[in-house]
Amino acid sequence: MQVAQIITDPQVPGSDASAGAAALTALRPALFARYMALDTLRYDYPLVLVEGEEVQKPLIPLSQIVDEALRLVAPLGPDGEELRQQVLRLEQRMRDKVAKGTEEKLSELWRISSAELVAESGQSTFGPLDETLERAWGAITVDGRVIGCSEATPRKVLAHVWQAMHHMRARKFRYKVDRLVLKLNDILKSDHIKSDEAHSPGALAQSMGLDGDKSIDFSALSNILHRVRPEDRLPADRVARIRHVLQVLQTQAFFGPGRATFSYPDKAVCYSYVFQSCTEALDAYRDRLPSVIEFTKALAIAEMEVENKYVPELHDAIFESFDESDLTEEQMAFLPPAVVFLRDGVTESVELARAYEALACGLPIKVMIQVDDILGPTSPEPPRNSFGAGNARLASMAMGINNAFVVQCSSAHMVRMQGDLVAAMQYGGPAMFSIYSGATKTVAGVPAYILAAAATECRMFPNFSYDPSAGNDLASRFDLSANPQLERDWPEHTLLFEDTSGRRQQETVRFTLGDFALADARYHRFCQTVEAGSWSGDMVPFDEQLKASSSATDIKRAFVLGIDRQNQMMRVVVDDKITVAARRCNDAWTQLQELAGINNSHVLAKLAEERRKREALVVELSTESSLTQSPDEAKTEPAPGAPVPKTEAKAVEEESDSAVAEVLDDMPWIETSRCTTCNECRQINDRLFGYNENMQAFIADPDAGTYRQLVDAAEGCQVSIIHPGKPRNPNEPDLEDLMERAKPFL
Amino acid sequence: MTASMSQCLMQMVHTDYQISDYQSAITPRWCTGCGDNAILTAMQRLCRDEQLPPEKTVCVSGIGCASRLPHYMNAYGFHGIHGRALPIAEGIKIRRPDLHVFVTTGDGDCCSIGAAHWLHAVRYNMNMTMLLHDNNVYGLTKKQASPTSPKGLKSNTTPFGATLNPLNPLSVTLGIANVSFVAQVPDWIPELLYDVLSKAYHHKGFSFIRILQRCPNFMNHHFDAAVQDPLRIRMLTHSNGLRLKPELSRIYKNQETHDPLDLHRAQALAVLDEEIPVGVLYSNPDVPCYDELRKGKRPNTPQLVETVLNEEFDKVGIWPEGQQAASNGE
Repeated sequence: MQVAQIITDPQVPGSDASAGAAALTALRPALFARYMALDTLRYDYPLVLVEGEEVQKPLIPLSQIVDEALRLVAPLGPDGEELRQQVLRLEQRMRDKVAKGTEEKLSELWRISSAELVAESGQSTFGPLDETLERAWGAITVDGRVIGCSEATPRKVLAHVWQAMHHMRARKFRYKVDRLVLKLNDILKSDHIKSDEAHSPGALAQSMGLDGDKSIDFSALSNILHRVRPEDRLPADRVARIRHVLQVLQTQAFFGPGRATFSYPDKAVCYSYVFQSCTEALDAYRDRLPSVIEFTKALAIAEMEVENKYVPELHDAIFESFDESDLTEEQMAFLPPAVVFLRDGVTESVELARAYEALACGLPIKVMIQVDDILGPTSPEPPRNSFGAGNARLASMAMGINNAFVVQCSSAHMVRMQGDLVAAMQYGGPAMFSIYSGATKTVAGVPAYILAAAATECRMFPNFSYDPSAGNDLASRFDLSANPQLERDWPEHTLLFEDTSGRRQQETVRFTLGDFALADARYHRFCQTVEAGSWSGDMVPFDEQLKASSSATDIKRAFVLGIDRQNQMMRVVVDDKITVAARRCNDAWTQLQELAGINNSHVLAKLAEERRKREALVVELSTESSLTQSPDEAKTEPAPGAPVPKTEAKAVEEESDSAVAEVLDDMPWIETSRCTTCNECRQINDRLFGYNENMQAFIADPDAGTYRQLVDAAEGCQVSIIHPGKPRNPNEPDLEDLMERAKPFL
Repeated sequence: MTASMSQCLMQMVHTDYQISDYQSAITPRWCTGCGDNAILTAMQRLCRDEQLPPEKTVCVSGIGCASRLPHYMNAYGFHGIHGRALPIAEGIKIRRPDLHVFVTTGDGDCCSIGAAHWLHAVRYNMNMTMLLHDNNVYGLTKKQASPTSPKGLKSNTTPFGATLNPLNPLSVTLGIANVSFVAQVPDWIPELLYDVLSKAYHHKGFSFIRILQRCPNFMNHHFDAAVQDPLRIRMLTHSNGLRLKPELSRIYKNQETHDPLDLHRAQALAVLDEEIPVGVLYSNPDVPCYDELRKGKRPNTPQLVETVLNEEFDKVGIWPEGQQAASNGE
């Protein structure tokens, strides 16, 4: 309040109110000087909204497309220079057209602009210039609408990204549904082939196609065909279930048929998913919920039927009781999400509340809130210190919901943030996009792109994303990296200017909320220009004033650097209200930094404490060592000869030879694991020799056969794994001879 | 994804396939002592352990003793024509990628009349398992020399002994572009046979296994040296290949640690003279598969086929003024 008094006091030198008011009308931050002729610069706009089947990057700046084409067709050095210049002139022409409001597809814009350039050059169509530009166009592989940065940009971009993701989702959906439809039809078809109807003469004649000479007697053919028993046909309830599922899958109205027009002959009109209010979106969600449940059930049943795993006794009850509460996030993510475009200042505030409610419920909904004015009005009577307190914090509030994907960025950074925009659209749950357009009506003469970029630069509208699916902690979920000079409170820039004597000067300035507010006419009533001759020692840069404690008693006049229409630089002293707003902005930024792990206050406090403890310990140790010689207690190496504990487990000992010998004993046995299932032994006696669960032979019953059979089998075994042991029946004939033959196999 | 729900519900339906579920009603009619029996058992064990539904399993063969195997498996089977097992299997796989495809073939069937298909099947690298039952002879037709018969083998077609050196299926396969899995195993070590078959089944791509198969009738004692002398077998072991159990390791002491990604070493091992390399010679799961590369963006429903054909016809159609072919949205 004290500062404000000084500014408005006409007695204070350099505070001529009438002169200041005149200068304020065209006031803008000094750092804008370099970027005011935006149409001549190559930057993210004009932007191409890339169309196509499988678009990896839906947003590509025109300049980037041109650069890539030049890299391919224009050789480095003087050879390619002419081509490069001609194509860049064409790009400038397209840039000018977009700035004047033209919005065409890139191919069309290229065609029109190159025709104009060719006509201006006096050359004929198909002349050298036309050919050069045509060659460059040949190197461009993408196409799509070309847009500039304006009030309508956030919605166009988001709608485009949603559409691209919708196409991808549709392809995935169709692949799955078509595959199931195909397989279910195959099941019905294979059953139908067994039917009497399929064996009728008429059906056989139809399946044969043309039989011009009538040489086939289909009645006779029908009579000799094998009749299938009724029990070999599919159960009637299964056929009915499959038919019902097919009906549901083929008449779904979530996605259109794409290329296969005839896939869904009974298809209803597709649901609409684009809304202007959350109320509409929620009502539509309620309306289509019965279809969602029916379709989800049909899909699950289809998958089970295809695998022949549907058991009515087990599954009927589950599907009968299936309702909304059983729908999983994955199941909902398979169907298209709704997208709602809200606009701050236009949308009723009750809609914002509904949006947060929908996000909190985890409904499949993507909400975009376009913000055109982040500072907000100052009159007639704004709440005290409320500048920028609401609109710029919508995304931060949504982060608290925890299960919603949140993206905040300005129009100027949508290309840089496109990975997050795409990820949020692909995310299975709800998502919120808060986009600042830069098209603030009370800011005259500053392009929307510059203002949008400045909002991010001054930390008023930082870029960030919050992805709940990225992990369980903030480090994985929260990303603040798309902001300039991340670790600083305010980004630093070097300002180049001429002094009154025409000499080049430079100064390091920080871009703060005070600078940003300078561009907004409503805030000029909190500013006062001060001519160079009236600069005094009690003036301090605004960022330094912010660093000082808010309760400091030393009264200083805080200023930011501004320029007028002629780019004349001046100091602009700002009111305490802006200082308070800037402090609040910095507070919010600091909190985001902490979420991103930058200057985390808990970590810093812990570090300080540990440092203090260590320093205290060092002091203590140095004091002790100066008094006595401390014994060497820290020695950790064991004394020589000390027993070393055993760390490795003792190796398992093999079975002793005597134990093996005991097992072998006098019993016949087979090295089962080496059996090759040749069946030779079982052909001799299939009660004596059996097969285990791996179809390998073992002695099933040693008393089920003779010793002769054992010896014969041992001799016949191709891999010599049968060991006959000793005779179990001492009365068996020719035992001596048999034992002699068995010797090699004992 | 809904799959998770249906998968949960499907788990309620317990299946427990036993070896008998894969045995057909026909008893194997191979000669007593034939190595094919061991191969059949290994396949049935694999099917049981992987719980492959019989209706999702296909065995395809050509002509020969080995090619009788589909008759003895209770699964889908295709006993094809001589040398043509692989094209049939490829057709099945590309149309029904959900099926588990096994190809059984003999040295005559594969390396002679079917050699061209063999080369291209390796190059296509489609996801299936091929078992080459190599007994070095035409057995079904009572002993004629096959491409892998040893030089000097007296047979009905070579009464004075085979003139040429045998073809080496391993070195041939390893020399083909896009080769992704090559292994060799004898039929008389069932545990190894099963392990190699299991490795081949789990490999993504075309798995080629040459199985040294004993023929007790027409090549009796041909493999006796290797059967009786374990040192003649060089076991190729590796953490990504074969891992011998202690009991086998004690018997087969001639071992070499061989990285299955080392193609050059695999090629050197394939042509060993005095020893038989056993194990996974080469395995590279990163080789592209033709069936995956050619996978359509949409299933070929009759409706899609009709639509695409109509679109093609529409390109050359003449439309009354003010009309054009209907375009389809999402």
